[in-house]
Amino acid sequence: MLETYLPILMQLGVACGFAVSTLIVSVLLGKSGKTNPVKDSAYECGMLPIGEAQPRFSVKFYLVAMLFVLFDIEVVFMYPWAVVFKDLLVTSLLPVTLGMAGFVFILFIAYLYVLKKGALQWRD
Amino acid sequence: MGNFLEAPYLLEAVVVVLGLALLMLEAFLPKADKRLVAYIALFGLAGVLVASFNMKAPENLEHSFWSFYATDNLAFFYKNIAVLATMLVIVMAIEYTPVLEKYVSQGSKQGGLGEFFCLPVFVCAGLMWMASAKEFITIFVSLETVTISFYVLVAYMRRNVGSLEAGVKYLILGALSTGFFVYGVTWVFGLTGETHLEKIGIALQGLEGSDSAVLFAFTLILVGLGFKVAAVPFHVWVPDVYQGAPTPVTAFLSVGSKAAGFIVATRILQPFLEMERLHSSFTTILVIVTGATILFGNFAAIPQTNFKRLLAYSSISHAGFLLLALTCTPDQFQLTPGQVVAFYLATYLLMTMLCFLVLTIVRRSTESDEIAAFSGLHRRSPFLAFALLIGVISLAGVPLTAGFLGKFFVFTLAIDSGRWILLAFAVVGAASGFYYYLKVARAMYWEEPTELAAIEISPLARLALLLLIIATIVFGVYPAPILGLLTN
Repeated sequence: MLETYLPILMQLGVACGFAVSTLIVSVLLGKSGKTNPVKDSAYECGMLPIGEAQPRFSVKFYLVAMLFVLFDIEVVFMYPWAVVFKDLLVTSLLPVTLGMAGFVFILFIAYLYVLKKGALQWRD
Repeated sequence: MGNFLEAPYLLEAVVVVLGLALLMLEAFLPKADKRLVAYIALFGLAGVLVASFNMKAPENLEHSFWSFYATDNLAFFYKNIAVLATMLVIVMAIEYTPVLEKYVSQGSKQGGLGEFFCLPVFVCAGLMWMASAKEFITIFVSLETVTISFYVLVAYMRRNVGSLEAGVKYLILGALSTGFFVYGVTWVFGLTGETHLEKIGIALQGLEGSDSAVLFAFTLILVGLGFKVAAVPFHVWVPDVYQGAPTPVTAFLSVGSKAAGFIVATRILQPFLEMERLHSSFTTILVIVTGATILFGNFAAIPQTNFKRLLAYSSISHAGFLLLALTCTPDQFQLTPGQVVAFYLATYLLMTMLCFLVLTIVRRSTESDEIAAFSGLHRRSPFLAFALLIGVISLAGVPLTAGFLGKFFVFTLAIDSGRWILLAFAVVGAASGFYYYLKVARAMYWEEPTELAAIEISPLARLALLLLIIATIVFGVYPAPILGLLTN
């Protein structure tokens, strides 16, 4: 049973092997230049490296991002639904569409709730 | 399609719509008294409870839908338990409003309180669906509906460190246990190619090859369920979460979550226990878990000084008695283990809710969950003291209370199946129960109160307490109505 997974193992080997061999070969064959502080600093047209690497941003970002994912998944869910129930639609149209309508309705109520609670408003 | 509008699943649909309507009310009337939401929820659920008695199982079960939706007596019984528990939790939540206001409010006095009354309705819908689920995907989705709502409810008092701690613990351990459960389900699916419990039963009978794979799957599922019903050794979260969560939520966890866990356990264990080749191995695992749960739950409850923690350990020990019923394979006893478990849970609902309702009221006026806060309660409020007395003696299993009959049926079942060692454990456990439950009674009647101010009880809470007291005593003497619902 497990031999069917052999190609995946090979691919894994090739992927890791390529990455490792490239790194080794570049060290062996490449010439490393001399470094000095001026050379290491940002290029003249770049931004000056000032401030934290991870800047703080508003907690509202998470709220909006989470809501986006929720409603995004709703749409994603419709694709498998449409594919799986394609044949069943012919024989029992009503239950299948009603099921999806119910799902969308619940999310619509959730959307109204989110809107009314001001979760999508960036400023207070 | 003819019976589309009479089908039992409409009950769940109505509960979900009720929850959504309440959410809309909450969002569109931000100025209204939030308790309005609670009262509407209460009336709506009462309507659902009445309607559930008029629902009939469909006669034509040919449609594939009914292969994953059970409509037997047990399913309806657990739906009633779920609705009743939710109603009592909402009554409790109304009593608990002052405490919530203190730890939740944002902006206005009652800001952010409305959802506390909406979420139990969604939990209720999940519990009701779970009562009918007999297919792994359905079980999983309804289980998660319940659990995710509980994550929010447990951590609801966000300015209270205890509640937040409880929320984090419940979230992490809950997610872990769900992981175990789903992994077990995938193993079962891998072995049998089925998610329907009935078909899994058939497939397991004819299964060839390794036993260890089946045992592994069974154990993983048992870990997931053990967490939900608070069985040892998956009980570690119980005391901390019970203590930290808002009291109405603790009551809901202790009754609703446990009832749901047990209906699922009753249905899931059946196909495994019917597998003759491994029957003894499965039973051995269950017996070990049961013995540990009974002993640990009862002995760990003895030194507790906090009433909420005491009820948490009591919840573990009751899970032990319920598991004891599930390990049994009776020869001639009239009730099946599933029915005994359902009866026990119905009585457990009455007495636990009674204790938590009194605790909620006392907590509101004394700001403490310690047993010491109950000192001299009979001088401050004889009615509350009497209600709690009935609650604790019923939990201990004193004859002529509902709790006694629940234990009586479990013990009879155990004798009939010859589970002698577990029975000895159960007797020791029940005996130690008398000590720690009556500790509360002693505090109420024999200790001096620290203050003498009378405790007010709202009319709604008084009515709920009165009904619970009457039900606890009446069903302890005359259990026929409950048994009628289960067997007829």
